[in-house]
Amino acid sequence: MKTVEKEIGAILSGTISSITQRSIFNRLGPLATTPVHQLSASDRATIMRELENSVRLFARSNSAQLIASCAKALEPGAAAAVSGAATAVATAAPATLAPKKLPIEQEKDIATARLEAWSEAVRIGLSKFASVKVATAVSELARNIVFYAGKGFVELRSVQDERGLVGLQIVASDDGPGIPQEKLQEIWAGTYKSQRGMGKGLVAVKKLVDDFHLDTRPGVGTTVKCVFKGER
Amino acid sequence: MEQELPIIQIRNCLLVSIQTELHDRLALDLQASLMDRVRTVNARGVILDVSGVEIIDSYITRILNDIGKSVRFMGAECYIVGIRPAVAMTLIEMGVELDSVSTALNLDLALEKLELLQ
Repeated sequence: MKTVEKEIGAILSGTISSITQRSIFNRLGPLATTPVHQLSASDRATIMRELENSVRLFARSNSAQLIASCAKALEPGAAAAVSGAATAVATAAPATLAPKKLPIEQEKDIATARLEAWSEAVRIGLSKFASVKVATAVSELARNIVFYAGKGFVELRSVQDERGLVGLQIVASDDGPGIPQEKLQEIWAGTYKSQRGMGKGLVAVKKLVDDFHLDTRPGVGTTVKCVFKGER
Repeated sequence: MEQELPIIQIRNCLLVSIQTELHDRLALDLQASLMDRVRTVNARGVILDVSGVEIIDSYITRILNDIGKSVRFMGAECYIVGIRPAVAMTLIEMGVELDSVSTALNLDLALEKLELLQ
């Protein structure tokens, strides 16, 4: 019995790395492990919408062909419905996006948040390098949440600056233990060494982003707000 | 889900292709089994292929540095190959160092460099 994950994985292997595939399937949730023949029409549409976005972003070549193969693999009749959805997505192509709030609770959420941030960055028109920076910053922030606070969330939203350029704002927030003042000084001085990380995550994020705001209160929580500015 | 990264031996080098999300447990297991193998096969070098890794943050960097350090302690050399251009640029900007490992553009060149060591 072939599951969605197996069928699609076979098509994507060689073009999309297994790490990225994993995150794509994570985003599909239980649908990923559903046998193909048990899918309803709306399931198929959901899967294809997700796949189309991801494949277009991450495939280095012939994404249209890959998408078509995926549709065919799920069901021969699905292909027609999909090509309709594809043109709708292509023509809409919004430069801004609705705020996206991603819960961060376990290690696999880090990968999901990273991928989500990456695709949003590409969608609002940031360059390839800038999008990798965005994904890396989100990875650092989400990791901090999982390691030090246990749970929290990362919120992504597009912001427009005075020049009319669209950038991406990232807010990472938790109600964990917060960072005590003396530790904060060590972090910025670069002398802090944590048990699990390198104690360099926050410093790294600060260097990557264009705008950085940290609000931390011991016993209350930590919020990091940062912005990647739009590019000309 | 229990998983283990396969370690491949090419002559007197050990090769690991990282195709999965590295986390604490997996990294420690990899480090331990690599050190074990370095000793049993008298490996001259360890090569970690990260060409399938799209994002490397400070945490992953620390893992790679730790593995590099432990391999060096054993007297072998650790090469990271296949770092993507965007990843390299990001690491530079973050001010994060990959200083406990050597790097090579690809597997071929790493093997070449290791052969020269002999």
